[in-house]
Amino acid sequence: MKQLIKLRVNGIDEELYAEPWWTLSHVLREELNFIGTKQGCEGGHCGACTVLIDGKAVMSCIYLAMKARGKDIMTIEGLEGENGALHPLQEAFIEHFAVQCGYCTPGMIMTAKAMLGENPNPTEEEVRAGLSGNLCRCTGYTKIVEAILSSAEKKGN
Amino acid sequence: MPELSVVGKSVVRLDARTKVLGKEEYCADIKLPGMLHAKVLGSPHPHAKILSVDTSAAEKVSGVRCVVTEKDAPKKLTGTGGIKDMPILARGVVRHMGEPVAAVAATTLEAAEEALELIKVEYKELPAIFDAEEAAGTNPPVIIHPDFSNYRVTLHPDRLSPERPNVFTHIKVYKGDVDKGFKESDLIVENRFVAPSIQHCALEPHAAVVCPEPDGSVTVFTGKQGLSRVKEDVAAAFGIEPYRVRVRQQYVGGSFGGKNGTYEFIPTLLALKTGRPVKWVMTREEVFVLGGPREGMVLTVKDGFNKDGTIVARKMEVLVDGGAYAEASPGITQNCSSATICMYRIPHLKWDGYAVYTNTPKRRGMRGYGVNEVAFAIESNMEIAAEKLGIDPVELRRKNLLREGEPMLNGEITHSIGAAECLDRVCAAIKLNEKGASEGPWRKGKGVALGNKYSTARAAYCGARIQVTENERIIVYHGADAVGQGVNTVIAQMAAEEFGISADRVDVVFSDTAITPFFGGGSTSSRTTYNLGNAVRRACDDAKRQIFQRAAWNLEAPPELLGTGNMEVYVRGHPERKIRVKDLFSPYQDRPRQIPAGGAGEGEEIMEIIGKATYRAESIPDDPKTGQLDPELAKQGKRFMAFYTYVAKAVEVAVNIETGEVKVLRCCGTVDLGKAINPKTCEQQLEGGMAMGIGSALYEVTLMEKGRVLNPNFADYRAPLAAQMPFNENMKSIFVESAPHKDGPFGAKGFSEGAVTGTEPAIANAIYNAVGVRIKELPITPEKVMRALRETYPSLPKRGKAAKLLIQEDL
Repeated sequence: MKQLIKLRVNGIDEELYAEPWWTLSHVLREELNFIGTKQGCEGGHCGACTVLIDGKAVMSCIYLAMKARGKDIMTIEGLEGENGALHPLQEAFIEHFAVQCGYCTPGMIMTAKAMLGENPNPTEEEVRAGLSGNLCRCTGYTKIVEAILSSAEKKGN
Repeated sequence: MPELSVVGKSVVRLDARTKVLGKEEYCADIKLPGMLHAKVLGSPHPHAKILSVDTSAAEKVSGVRCVVTEKDAPKKLTGTGGIKDMPILARGVVRHMGEPVAAVAATTLEAAEEALELIKVEYKELPAIFDAEEAAGTNPPVIIHPDFSNYRVTLHPDRLSPERPNVFTHIKVYKGDVDKGFKESDLIVENRFVAPSIQHCALEPHAAVVCPEPDGSVTVFTGKQGLSRVKEDVAAAFGIEPYRVRVRQQYVGGSFGGKNGTYEFIPTLLALKTGRPVKWVMTREEVFVLGGPREGMVLTVKDGFNKDGTIVARKMEVLVDGGAYAEASPGITQNCSSATICMYRIPHLKWDGYAVYTNTPKRRGMRGYGVNEVAFAIESNMEIAAEKLGIDPVELRRKNLLREGEPMLNGEITHSIGAAECLDRVCAAIKLNEKGASEGPWRKGKGVALGNKYSTARAAYCGARIQVTENERIIVYHGADAVGQGVNTVIAQMAAEEFGISADRVDVVFSDTAITPFFGGGSTSSRTTYNLGNAVRRACDDAKRQIFQRAAWNLEAPPELLGTGNMEVYVRGHPERKIRVKDLFSPYQDRPRQIPAGGAGEGEEIMEIIGKATYRAESIPDDPKTGQLDPELAKQGKRFMAFYTYVAKAVEVAVNIETGEVKVLRCCGTVDLGKAINPKTCEQQLEGGMAMGIGSALYEVTLMEKGRVLNPNFADYRAPLAAQMPFNENMKSIFVESAPHKDGPFGAKGFSEGAVTGTEPAIANAIYNAVGVRIKELPITPEKVMRALRETYPSLPKRGKAAKLLIQEDL
């Protein structure tokens, strides 16, 4: 039985009817049209669905939408600044050629944002460990790690 | 060659900004009004007769608009590789677990899932066969396709194997007399290698949206590798005129060969039946099973050497497990033989490749299309032989490499072979002869391997269109597949170079069969840079001809004397006599009546400049009985494959002698790619390829038991994560440009598959170098390493501190 719920996404309150079993990724993608959050598996293994909830990286495909009520949800769409300005992490991913097919990219960037939020100056080992919930098949991770490290150096988080 | 200003530069990728914003639409992101969601019911049995299917309860579920079974599906059997053996929905029998039996379209995914559970199918299980070697016999206990002789098969009869009822392809490459060769050999090295099925693991699951149009035609939105074929396949299967099938490429979240089959049939069927758009997105589990795992191979290599290390004879038998339907396996089985044909000089060769049916999911070729498995076998064998011969393994390879101008093992004349430089540079980069010091239980070792990847010429012709607009921009139309590899950026650079502009003045239109030209074979076989690059350059020439013809009047100079750069046309040698390209479009120029370029009516002004061209790499066929080319034609330089790209990989590993774990510390790859059009995007591909090679060497395998895939998810199937890859400073990508291809655009070949090749044998060789054990079956898991360590070092105790002490003595 659908319930009326309110979710705060990228700073804006969204109201919608949702089934209690709906995942946050389903609601974001299908109901609220935030297609930047991708779905690569159904089990929280690949990280393509990563969003931030109160600043922490969460796999939205195994997180119930209901549970997100009252919390601050940020998706990749929330990183874009005014007039299309890119977040420093987004700039870094472009500059360092960290994007190929693009499917893992939103999840990688959101995870990186959360990671740098907690640990602004990670070592390479820490970055790689921090990406253990994000699978990429195109890049081999080299340039993704480079982009995150360079973004940390610039302290643009 | 004049100095290049855009080609050869690391231009930022055109699609990067859209992707970091998350704005690109993949198929699963498409929402159309009235769209229905599809679910597919797969067989729970590996081999069974379908006795009855009852969809009545499913049809009654609220939201369900349509339930289909084989009686609703087109009757023609399908198949992508020359054997049409596969029904769109199972007909009377299922041959692998997960084979589609029925499909549902409903207003919500939940309703579709509910309906799926209510479809009642009665099966009678049949004996099944899972082992490729058992299935390949002359008298197997189960024949999977008893009706094979009635299928439409376009393979030459000499490439079939009727005496083995489950073998659907037999490839022969015969040269000289191997028995004589072995008799003359001083050393014979024979080994059996196994490279099991692995998975493509593209992050985006397979998806398609099919939309019936008001005029009776059909639009297929798909994330594809092989757009043009979808149109032909769908048109042929459903009896629709090809011009009424429009296939529109979306952004693709990776493919690696996995999205090369035609899975659009089922959503098309549902769309035509319901009259509404239908979206089908595979679950990850479905991708692992129905999307199609890679083929698995069993390879035996028997090499005969002289004591000075020259190879005298090679006998190879390769058995390809193709799963329940032929699909791409005939091509894989044929083409993988090229890995042994194009690299080393071998006077006597007997290669027999067999593709066999088993009651396992049908297979889908994966990045490398069989050459990775072959490279694993032959490059491991070379290393084993080197030790027995007492010859340095790098020397052994160098001395046997073919040289420019020499005939390969099928007679084709070797051209553009940078393998020796690849080998030298990769050995230098990894400092091959400096062994790392042990650290606790970790023993270090280094290994190297060569590899190669062909690109087919057959059926790989393509068109390109270049539009020069009055906004001083170039628009490129092409039908290749941008699957994440950076096609559009590289193509934009080539077009920009031709016009002397920067790459950001070039737009590339998304491939769409209604708008963009044909691209034969799809962006597979590492062919896009080469074939499309050539087509684009010729189309640019055509556009420039038209520009010069028009500007000739404005500049009062013959067209042959004109040049262009920066969207200006000028007289060569008199650059002050120039005109902006956009000013050529002005209709008010009082031009004399003339026949404008393009043959439009006399006196008509043309408002657009469109250059077009087709490129086809010429080739000659091989003899199906022997795999040899016609010697006369071959001597004239006629080719079988468009090109061959050579690669070398070197790795440093650390092996834990207490647990068997293998870590890759350093990984270097060199690629003889002719010309790096965009060095950074080349690095992207090579790094990703080496990661894939590390995965298949150490972690990846499709575990199957009695036809069931046991690990159809990312938790149990271990594609490498960032923590399993070497640190950035230990990943090296080196591009060799000393052997450009005479027919490649700017000398370039393609290498996105070669990016993987050679990584597996390099790792196996490094492990041997570290701890003296030779693993011949992938993936090289800790269990295999420990078992091999215990066999090789019998005094190794089973556990405890004593183990560490004893091992330090022996190793």
